[in-house]
Amino acid sequence: MATEVLELDSAQLDEVIKADKALVIFYSKTCGPCKMLRFVLKDIAKDVDGVSIGEIDFDANKDATAKYKVESYPTLLLFKKGEEVKRVKGLQQKPKVLQMINEG
Amino acid sequence: MSVKFKQFDHIITEQYQAEQAFLAAYKKGSHSFEQPFVQLNPYLIAPLTALIMFKTDKPETVTVNVKGRQADGDMHFDLPAATEHVIPVYGLYGGSDNTVELKLGSGAKKSVIIKTEALPDKVKLPTKMETTSDYFQDNLMFVGPTTAALVAGYDYKGDPRWYCTLNLAFDIKRVKNGRLLVGTHRLLMPPYHTTGIYEMGMIGKIYKEFRIPGGYHHDQFEMEDGNLLILTQDPPRGTVEDMCVLVDRNTGAILKSWDYQKSLPQDVGGSGSQDEHDWFHNNAVWYDKKTHSLTLSGRHQDAVINIDYDSGKLNWIIGDPDNWPQDMVDKYFFKPVGDVKNFDWQYEQHACVVVPDGDIMCFDNGHWRGKRKENYVPAKDNFSRGVRYRIDTSKMEIEQVWQFGKERGEDFFSTYICNVEYYGEGHYMVHSGGIGRFKGETLNKPPAQVRGDDEKDLVLNSITVELKDDTIVYEMHLPANYYRAEKLQPYCREDVLSFGKGELLGDLGVTEQFLTIPDTEPGGEVPDKYNVKIGLEEDRIILKATFEKGQMVMLLLEGAQTVGYFVPTTKRPFLAMCVGTFQEADERAVEFPISRKGLAGSFAIRLIVDDKKYETGVHVAL
Repeated sequence: MATEVLELDSAQLDEVIKADKALVIFYSKTCGPCKMLRFVLKDIAKDVDGVSIGEIDFDANKDATAKYKVESYPTLLLFKKGEEVKRVKGLQQKPKVLQMINEG
Repeated sequence: MSVKFKQFDHIITEQYQAEQAFLAAYKKGSHSFEQPFVQLNPYLIAPLTALIMFKTDKPETVTVNVKGRQADGDMHFDLPAATEHVIPVYGLYGGSDNTVELKLGSGAKKSVIIKTEALPDKVKLPTKMETTSDYFQDNLMFVGPTTAALVAGYDYKGDPRWYCTLNLAFDIKRVKNGRLLVGTHRLLMPPYHTTGIYEMGMIGKIYKEFRIPGGYHHDQFEMEDGNLLILTQDPPRGTVEDMCVLVDRNTGAILKSWDYQKSLPQDVGGSGSQDEHDWFHNNAVWYDKKTHSLTLSGRHQDAVINIDYDSGKLNWIIGDPDNWPQDMVDKYFFKPVGDVKNFDWQYEQHACVVVPDGDIMCFDNGHWRGKRKENYVPAKDNFSRGVRYRIDTSKMEIEQVWQFGKERGEDFFSTYICNVEYYGEGHYMVHSGGIGRFKGETLNKPPAQVRGDDEKDLVLNSITVELKDDTIVYEMHLPANYYRAEKLQPYCREDVLSFGKGELLGDLGVTEQFLTIPDTEPGGEVPDKYNVKIGLEEDRIILKATFEKGQMVMLLLEGAQTVGYFVPTTKRPFLAMCVGTFQEADERAVEFPISRKGLAGSFAIRLIVDDKKYETGVHVAL
């Protein structure tokens, strides 16, 4: 089982979240917790299947942050077939992200 | 290798070593009443205290008189008959040749001169002091800082007669054994959650540290049996200042805890400073025996709440009911009665007090003074005050029966901190300790949040007022911010010095490890630019360094197993910077303490900074 973490722009984000399950991080390049959470997602990507995982730059994609009402970074959003089902803010540990995916 | 490493003792250990040294020096000599042994600042942290020791052939009472600059400034104390005399000296002046008069019961007199060093700049001097010695007597007004200053006690003239060189946090309270309870100077979680509470004598000796696994903040309360209520939190769950624990006074064990997340919803009734992380911001606790309940002040819900001691079940809420769910309003909130024209709710309040007749007092900061953004009142039009409410829990009615401060408007306005004290009917203290003006304008945010170059445009003030039947009988202004004020007599019969090593009770819990360790490249030695310092204490490892905002930093302990800790370099925007004294002037400065609990073995300390792993050259055996 493995998947890869995709770097997304606003248009790609709209497409990726149509998957059965998609986990997306809004991050900033100037944020330590974001950098760490991106490592966590890379680690998770090695272990999960059937989940699209993407990352989108908060600062470079203001239209996406406005559309999805993301006010701070890092923020993780879980989508199911285009619909947001869960959101958490701040740095999270791997078990909590896995729990989010499994329960979402 | 540029990393500085220092192993250092806990202050209790340092004080014990100092005590052993001065006792040895005393025993070496033959110190009589005529030639007493004098030790200035015997416990290293209270430079305006001293010990005088001598022997007499037969039991003698001793009267000590620390001479004031004026006759009204003298401080007297009588000690019981003994042949071995251990005399604490309190109330010395800084930078002075102080005269201490001793008189034996048999009539012999002796004067001792004790020279003290000048006061440090961080002991602030009052800019206004109005009271009389008749009223204030030999009390000192103790204040603990939230901006760059030191804990100090001021006499009726405004002269500092006691201060502590440690960066003690939050409130100072005297307890039944005469000692002081005060937040430790040891940081557990930035920006201001400390390791616990010190139980300290006025001489500066720390008898106990009560360590709390989630860290301590804001307030503590001594129960009738001596056990302690201490405010805390459970860090891994990502929220702060929403728990209280009952701590065994003898062992430091946690006997009971209250989790307010079980008593209150977290996403309603938010004040202007609320966020998910600090949703309640509990800044005071009071146990009321009559109702067997806890009264708690939650700044970030503009709410003084009362919960059942046994079950933690919510009994009532004092606060503006706007923006709370209707079912909660109907069940828990009060309806104003009496002079409703002059009634005001409290907002972002501090220091709730249950008065003997059941009335509730608090310091109403008034910050935002509204529950909806469109109604927020700016600082320039706002006020802070001490307020007393009478509540009828059978009718769920509330009446405002007293206030002081509204009439002073923005000049008395503190967005944060502060307290009130009830001394008796009509006799109160109101301490507005968080006043700040920036470029001439009253601040809408805690002045402790102003950092760096902006500080040059900041003017701080702290106003402590005492009133008797609405007449001001005491007013002190200090040019800094102070969390609370407490009026105490330095000499207290119960506060008897006892020798021996203090106790380190409880534990700091296990610091949360970060389970994902990033792939990195070897980076060699840590670059000098990070100014890395590592300290090793009995129960903590402390990393201090300078990083750019947004760098990803992880501290690794690599041994038989590898343990990683995520080190935040982007400061969480604390909307209530209740104690700013742990902050460095350089905003890039990072302090990250790790509890040693749960760590055993030999470890190399390494640092990940972004994509590189660096050697610190520091190896520790834990």
